[in-house]
Amino acid sequence: MARVSIGLTVNGQAVSAEVEPRVTLADFLRDELGLTGTKLGCEHGVCGACTVLVDGAAVRSCLMLAVQAEGADVLTIEGLSHNGLHPVQEAFWEHHGLQCGFCTPGMVLTAYAFLQERPDPSDEEIREALAGNLCRCTGYQNIVAAVRAAAGKLAAAS
Amino acid sequence: MTLQVLPRGKWLGARVKRVEDPRLLTGEAKYLADITLPGTVHVAFVRSPHGHARIRRIDTAAAKEMPGVLAVFTADDVAPLPPLASGLPVEGLKPTPQPVLAREKVRFVGEAVAAVVAESRYLAEDAAEQVTVDYEPLPAVVDAERAMQPDAPILHEELGSNIVYQKTTTLGDIEGAFAQADHVFRRRLHTNRFVAAPMETRGCISVYERASGHLTFYASTQMPHMLRLFLALFLGIPEHKVRVISPEVGGGFGQKMTIYPEEVVVAYLGKVLGRPVKWVEDRRENLAAATHAKEQIIELEAAVRSDGRILGLKARLIGDGGAYSFNTASALIEPLAGAALIPGVYDIQHYQHEVIAVCTNKSPVGAYRAVGWTAAQTARELFFDEIARDLGLDPAELRRRNVVSPEQFPYTTCTGMVYDSGTYRESLERALELVGYEELRRRQAELRQQGRYLGVGISLYVEPTAWGSEIALQAGFPFPSHDNATVTIDPSGKVRVAVSVHSHGQGHETTLAQVAAEILGVSIEDVVVEHGDTDRAPWGMGTYASRSAVIGGGMVALAAQEVRQKVLRVASRLLEVAPEDLDIQDGTVFVKGAPDRSLSMFQVAFAAYLDNRVRAEGEEPLLSATKFYDPRATYSNGCIVTVCEVDVETGLVRLDRVVAVEDCGTMLNPMIVEGQVMGAIAQGIGGALYEQMAYDEGGQLMTDTFVNYLLPGAAEVPPLTIEHLESPSPVTIGGIKGIGEGGLLATPASVAGAVLDALAPFDARIERLPLTPERIVEAVGHS
Repeated sequence: MARVSIGLTVNGQAVSAEVEPRVTLADFLRDELGLTGTKLGCEHGVCGACTVLVDGAAVRSCLMLAVQAEGADVLTIEGLSHNGLHPVQEAFWEHHGLQCGFCTPGMVLTAYAFLQERPDPSDEEIREALAGNLCRCTGYQNIVAAVRAAAGKLAAAS
Repeated sequence: MTLQVLPRGKWLGARVKRVEDPRLLTGEAKYLADITLPGTVHVAFVRSPHGHARIRRIDTAAAKEMPGVLAVFTADDVAPLPPLASGLPVEGLKPTPQPVLAREKVRFVGEAVAAVVAESRYLAEDAAEQVTVDYEPLPAVVDAERAMQPDAPILHEELGSNIVYQKTTTLGDIEGAFAQADHVFRRRLHTNRFVAAPMETRGCISVYERASGHLTFYASTQMPHMLRLFLALFLGIPEHKVRVISPEVGGGFGQKMTIYPEEVVVAYLGKVLGRPVKWVEDRRENLAAATHAKEQIIELEAAVRSDGRILGLKARLIGDGGAYSFNTASALIEPLAGAALIPGVYDIQHYQHEVIAVCTNKSPVGAYRAVGWTAAQTARELFFDEIARDLGLDPAELRRRNVVSPEQFPYTTCTGMVYDSGTYRESLERALELVGYEELRRRQAELRQQGRYLGVGISLYVEPTAWGSEIALQAGFPFPSHDNATVTIDPSGKVRVAVSVHSHGQGHETTLAQVAAEILGVSIEDVVVEHGDTDRAPWGMGTYASRSAVIGGGMVALAAQEVRQKVLRVASRLLEVAPEDLDIQDGTVFVKGAPDRSLSMFQVAFAAYLDNRVRAEGEEPLLSATKFYDPRATYSNGCIVTVCEVDVETGLVRLDRVVAVEDCGTMLNPMIVEGQVMGAIAQGIGGALYEQMAYDEGGQLMTDTFVNYLLPGAAEVPPLTIEHLESPSPVTIGGIKGIGEGGLLATPASVAGAVLDALAPFDARIERLPLTPERIVEAVGHS
């Protein structure tokens, strides 16, 4: 299959590659760039495990083709913090907001993007924001608590 | 130090943050799909689109010509591999051997028919589409009762019937109980087929080294050593040349505690092709072909006195086992487990049960958190609610009048379970208090006047935990079950704990480190817990059935205790005092009452290994011990109360809150206990209201994506209140019980009970779960 040249920024680094047009952004990140922190839970856009940020917006990387990310700025879980844990990650740790960890990168990035837009959310808004990310282990309550705590941490830091 | 009571200092019982979390939070953790070895080739399975069909011919020629394709395997190509079958030693249970790739027939949608191997998964899937299978569709049967009829299509012709097991057992004087009854009640419940759906699907990588004959098999599994044993037997590779590595696992819930046909095929492909062979299933495969769970048809009949005392119960449990009586524990895994727990927390000594296991054209049934018990609990608790309503009794009061009392422990049930201790009545009262039960009943009456329907559902449960040999036998599954831990202090004084139980979200690297740290007197930072690799961990059965806190905690305590004694003996020679006069705290061994006379763990360990003078005659330098634990049976308990409001026009259910009071004995880490309870409750909410594996009459699977198989999200799970009661087990090390399953065992009954309580004015009777809006509207309309 003919390959297409793409150029994009991933976690602050310029990346150029030749990809088959049918390759998803998720597979490109995982298989070509080795960024396996992005998880695949359903590959049909429901579970949210593959969530990454594309130009600041939370996106399901299983539903987007790598070629569609041409020129984009992509942030994956690996790029969220270069020095220890990000406050959102810290809050998930402190509040036991993860168990098996498989949904966690997508959950953390969704929460991160949400808190950029809505720095002081209510619990109901948090639940709504997380509605597109499935977790099978936690029952969500500790995730909601973690996002609430992360909002506090981010507010204190700003 | 006796191990009946474990020391509780800095670590044990504390809310210690999990040591595994940073790697999970940063995406550094490596799950199966994240592992790529040089030269890896990829598998895509060709799967049956029919529920029941004869295979006339398979044409693989076109697929083999596709770019990047190495091989296409069908049943004939894997002829040396034996079929999989349940080895459960239960008399009268008929085996249904399952070929690892379908041979002659397919029996469910999703059954693997061929395996395509190519240079990438994309190419493998391209080629899989080019495999042509000529099927002769056969009539399918998807309902267990229909499958029992003599004219039903038969899945396994050699058996002459779809019934693989049928047996009636009478316990106590059942006829006498019914003769004394003032009332006889009946109820039927067909519980829904729902699935574990771990966020990480199944997967494996087979790496075979031809020169040495060694197989390294990476698998997303809950039981590495069992998988090693069976792969060795199936592939004919000596077991010492097989290594199973279960890397980070993204949830299991029972679905990954089995030997799957795909795993055997992939292992074999690696051996035959001589390149690493990788398979990661997609979600559709997971929904169609990984084990399903929890579907039973349960009919109950109760002999009841006018005061609400249940004198006797009759139960008929039909387990819909799917296409094969699967190798986990056969098609009995649901109905036999369910039958044993029908009496539950209630003092009922006269009981008769008929257990039937049936094959149908659906995916085979295996374990899923509280296997068998969820259906039994749901059927019985909803039945008791109805009895209370019909007698004009409060459902809480009916439970009070029948629950096993504290003075009855140890209590032996009519099915042979020995309840060691618990807070059955107390958990009920405490849950009612927390939820504000009396006030809720007043509010319910008020709202009904306004045409609003509030409901309260109570589910009082006992949970068999600590799956060792004794509880397995008491639960009806006579199969040994035990584990081992090795605790080692290295020459520099750091602690390595290797265990055969496996963590796939439970946090063993934290809880088991807490146990070792407490007993050895070191910091948790100086302990590492290793699991999931058969070359690093001692032999054992793995993690399932709420066993790892009890068995893992117990075996680590035993091994750490022995290593502690060794440390004290070495230190006693160095400090020239008796071992009894020494203690260890914060990594320092010191003389009691004279803390200045001390040595660091480093100094003691270094001397143990490298200073020959400190060893007593005949003693080995290694500061290590391996200990085995097969605990006595223990039972956790609790009560889950749900409050909901139902819109009778639309059938929508709004959950207000769920209150859970649980008792798992001694807690290693309350934070992790709460996590287990809350996660299981959410799964129970899914089972009560949303989740259902649906097939049409022809055996076609209707729910093969997360668009039509609905998992609860953050917006569907209401605020959860968890409270702990703690009655340590008198029979296990440290009094630990287990905690994994109670939430899913009891929540569907609690949620469904709340909905039916809300609908009480309509006398709505519902025989099927989940309680979808359609079913609710229909039940209301029929009143």
